Amino acid sequence: MISEETLIRKSGKEGKRGKVFDRLVRSAFAGITYAIVLVALLLFGKIVKDGAPTLFTSEAPFINVSFLLDKNETLHVFDDAQGVRHKLPASKYAEFIKQNGEDSIYNHHSFSYSGGGIVGPIVGTLLLTVGSILLALFFGVSAAIYLSEYAKESPFIHAVRLAILNLAGVPSIVFGLFGFSVFVLAVPVITADPSSRSLLTIPLFFGDYVMSFQGWNSSLMAGCATLACMILPVIITASEESLKAVPQGFRDASLALGATRWQTIRRCVLPYSMPGILTSSLLAITRVAGETAPIMFTAAVAAKDDLPWEGADGPLDVLSSQVQALPYHIYTLAARIPNSEYTQQAQYGSVFVFLLLVAILSISSMVLRAKMRAKLKW
Amino acid sequence: MPKNSTPTAPSAFSRKGFSFDRIFKYFFASNAGLTIVILLLIIGFLLKEGLGFFPGYQRELQIYRITGMEYIDISRKNLTSHEQLTSVMNRAYFAEINGLADRELQRSTESSALISHIDDFTASARDQYFETIEDANPAPALIESAKQKYAALLPLAMKDLPLTPHLSAGERQQIIDAMLARPIDNEDTPELVNQLATEYATVRAKFATPLEPMRAAIDEFEALGADLSTSVSDMSSSVQVIKEELNTADIIERDRKTLIAAAESAKTPEERARLMAEAQTAISTVPDTATPLKELLSGREDGQEMHRSMHEKITDWSGKASIALTQPEAQRLYQVVEKTLPVYLNELAATPKALAAWDAEKPVKLGTAISSFLTGKNWITGGEWQDFYGILPLFVGSLMIAIVALILAVPAGIGAAIYTNQFASEREQKIIKPVIEFIQAIPSVVLGFIGIFVLGNALRELSTSPSLSWFPGFPMDERLNIFTAGCLLALMSIPTIFSLAEDAINNVPGAYSEASEALGASKLQTTFRVVVPAAFSGILAAVLLGFGRVIGETMVVLLVAGNRIKIPDFSAGIGAFFQPAHTMTGIIAQELGEVPLGSVHYRALFVVGILLFTIVLGINALAHRFTRNMKH
Repeated sequence: MISEETLIRKSGKEGKRGKVFDRLVRSAFAGITYAIVLVALLLFGKIVKDGAPTLFTSEAPFINVSFLLDKNETLHVFDDAQGVRHKLPASKYAEFIKQNGEDSIYNHHSFSYSGGGIVGPIVGTLLLTVGSILLALFFGVSAAIYLSEYAKESPFIHAVRLAILNLAGVPSIVFGLFGFSVFVLAVPVITADPSSRSLLTIPLFFGDYVMSFQGWNSSLMAGCATLACMILPVIITASEESLKAVPQGFRDASLALGATRWQTIRRCVLPYSMPGILTSSLLAITRVAGETAPIMFTAAVAAKDDLPWEGADGPLDVLSSQVQALPYHIYTLAARIPNSEYTQQAQYGSVFVFLLLVAILSISSMVLRAKMRAKLKW
Repeated sequence: MPKNSTPTAPSAFSRKGFSFDRIFKYFFASNAGLTIVILLLIIGFLLKEGLGFFPGYQRELQIYRITGMEYIDISRKNLTSHEQLTSVMNRAYFAEINGLADRELQRSTESSALISHIDDFTASARDQYFETIEDANPAPALIESAKQKYAALLPLAMKDLPLTPHLSAGERQQIIDAMLARPIDNEDTPELVNQLATEYATVRAKFATPLEPMRAAIDEFEALGADLSTSVSDMSSSVQVIKEELNTADIIERDRKTLIAAAESAKTPEERARLMAEAQTAISTVPDTATPLKELLSGREDGQEMHRSMHEKITDWSGKASIALTQPEAQRLYQVVEKTLPVYLNELAATPKALAAWDAEKPVKLGTAISSFLTGKNWITGGEWQDFYGILPLFVGSLMIAIVALILAVPAGIGAAIYTNQFASEREQKIIKPVIEFIQAIPSVVLGFIGIFVLGNALRELSTSPSLSWFPGFPMDERLNIFTAGCLLALMSIPTIFSLAEDAINNVPGAYSEASEALGASKLQTTFRVVVPAAFSGILAAVLLGFGRVIGETMVVLLVAGNRIKIPDFSAGIGAFFQPAHTMTGIIAQELGEVPLGSVHYRALFVVGILLFTIVLGINALAHRFTRNMKH
């Protein structure tokens, strides 16, 4: 028989050993967690360290405006007759040659995509993002309204939910294939002379115009449409959540006062859920701005001299032109040109600007979401 | 009750309102239906572009057979094995010599490393100098500035010189002094470096003498393959012409069909007649494959005989070729030879039968095309000989990268989730969660960029450190490989796994842990015996969704995986994970922009897309089944 005393002592001993073990396990898990945090911080640190010098300068206005606002060009590196090394983008290089003649150049090297600034990619990314978000918000919020306000259990709703679930999991490169085969090659356009690869032409009975299923080619619209399809499930899920967060009482009160369902939605549900919808869609913007695979074949182009609206007649022309995009630009800089001391500035600078853009978007969405949760409590 | 108190019929306005409401309802419903439409469009267009692949590939394989290319490849396979064996033997030979002459080799390489470090450092000034003096009328100022730069750079180059453990301090200093004294226009290497190189050459020659029997044996083996080599190249050149003819005939035939189709839908009779006439003239002559094939197969007996005699000779040879090697690397390589030689001999023995059994008349079925896509070990495109679309190298690449990523990310993600949810204070949670969530926001192309410019170099440098040389696969041959890509994908999937696992743990009802603690369990016991098991299926779902994300990821693998289309060499053991590979996602991104629309290659990429789509959706469906089990 074990006396009470031994039992207590035993548990004490075990307890001590248990405590050490306990602490060991805890610190092991803490180690894993902080290792992840550390790796993430190191990563940001590296990009900030190498990229910040491109964007920020030590003199007023402290920001390298020309990097943000100049067009992307080839970089020319050469020595002049005095042995001074020059690094000039293509346009200034041509000027230099004009002034000093061909013979004044020694040790000439050129680096593609590394000179000038990145205004083209920035503008392209902004256009793609805004276009696709507008499309996705319009269709996504409408779908969410149906799911949250009208829908009852039915096979149709079941199918819609299944589709949303599956769409959310489709890999981005498959969206690229989809966008390429649908928006670039197959969607209908109204034109007077259909292309030979058109899948189907329907005469429209005015003039020579036909509706030809020949696609929009690689263009801003095709890219926006592909990206919109990709984030549609995100927007629908987020919007439905925000709509459902509006208390049922609001709807009941409105309906009891004789308002129709649509009036109720417009006046009593949407205004209260709009902030939530917009905040969640900021997160979708982060994703859209960062995706490369879906736009590789549908919209993006590595080098382009003009901004989308330059030399375009009308908005349709802008929409059907190819654009540069920051993620694709970074892909080009990483994959197609070697790393050297002259290209590094453009490489790390572009990555830094891109990451800054994404960070601003995602931090503001996090902050807004936190604020919203605190504020909107019914 | 008065009769007129029953509700009146709705007024015109409210009727209108009612129908308005209906319109809105249908509008919203159609938007919800859009998701189904998109999903169906994805499936439909993938199938539309992809399904044409199999008949096209079937035709290609048919041509491959009726031209006799398949017949030639039976012999060619043996030739490749023979060449590979020769190359491994040569590597073993040189590994033996270099291993014996290790000290001299090290001394020579170290001295060269020393001067090439200095050369690299001063390269900009020297380049400027040499490019300037090559000009017709060199600018004196430029030459002067190059000289000044050179003088300034030279002492700077002496910092961070590579270590030279096998050179004495005096020898090292001698080389450095020689380099310091060297003027800009002199490109000669210092005397001592040349001397060391000569020493190395002498020692090599010395050790090569006792190895002469081995050299002779290798040369003999190589010579045994000469007949086969000539025979294969003779047969190939004649066949390629026929293949070209067949392909052209196919194209003409397709054009003719298009013309006929156009003629049928032509608006006016004249146009129809014109197109029909054009189609009539376009009828191609089907090239004659039977005669050249007959000619090719007339050598069948000789081919069989050649293989039989080769088998005999090599069996003889292998009896003589036992060579004692002393160096571990050489021994390892020679063991590979000893292991593969019997396999090769078996293949040789089986070849005459295969040659005899080969039949050009055997039809290529659609099933053959499908199975050769799903189990083919080669993805060869744009070649001159024959294109093969075998998914296996791409699938294995994707899978191996995913395995590396998951091995790293699963413990890290789940561990962090358990810690954050169960042990961390609220203040810690406020730091950890946003940082990990922010990793999710990093665009994948940025991670790929980091992989190319930072991680690849860092890992490679780490792997060359001598203290880690025991690890299989170290030092890495390539800085961009499966492991590097796996590391980055691990970082990418950690947030997914973390947040889903954390949700799962958070969803375990509080009563579970309260009950456990009330029974006297410690916090640790509660966590690992009650909470985690209760959240298990949710955690499993998190892992599966992480897996789906890794398999479907494109940009990181495209940039970092090394893009070599080959099944990694598993004889290297774990070292196989340090070889470059290509992936299913990467191949689509890389090749879709370059292939002609509607070609077999183009369709093959869509089939890869279909496969990817099916795999990822399958994984997701499984994950959602587990999440549904989670409802407490």
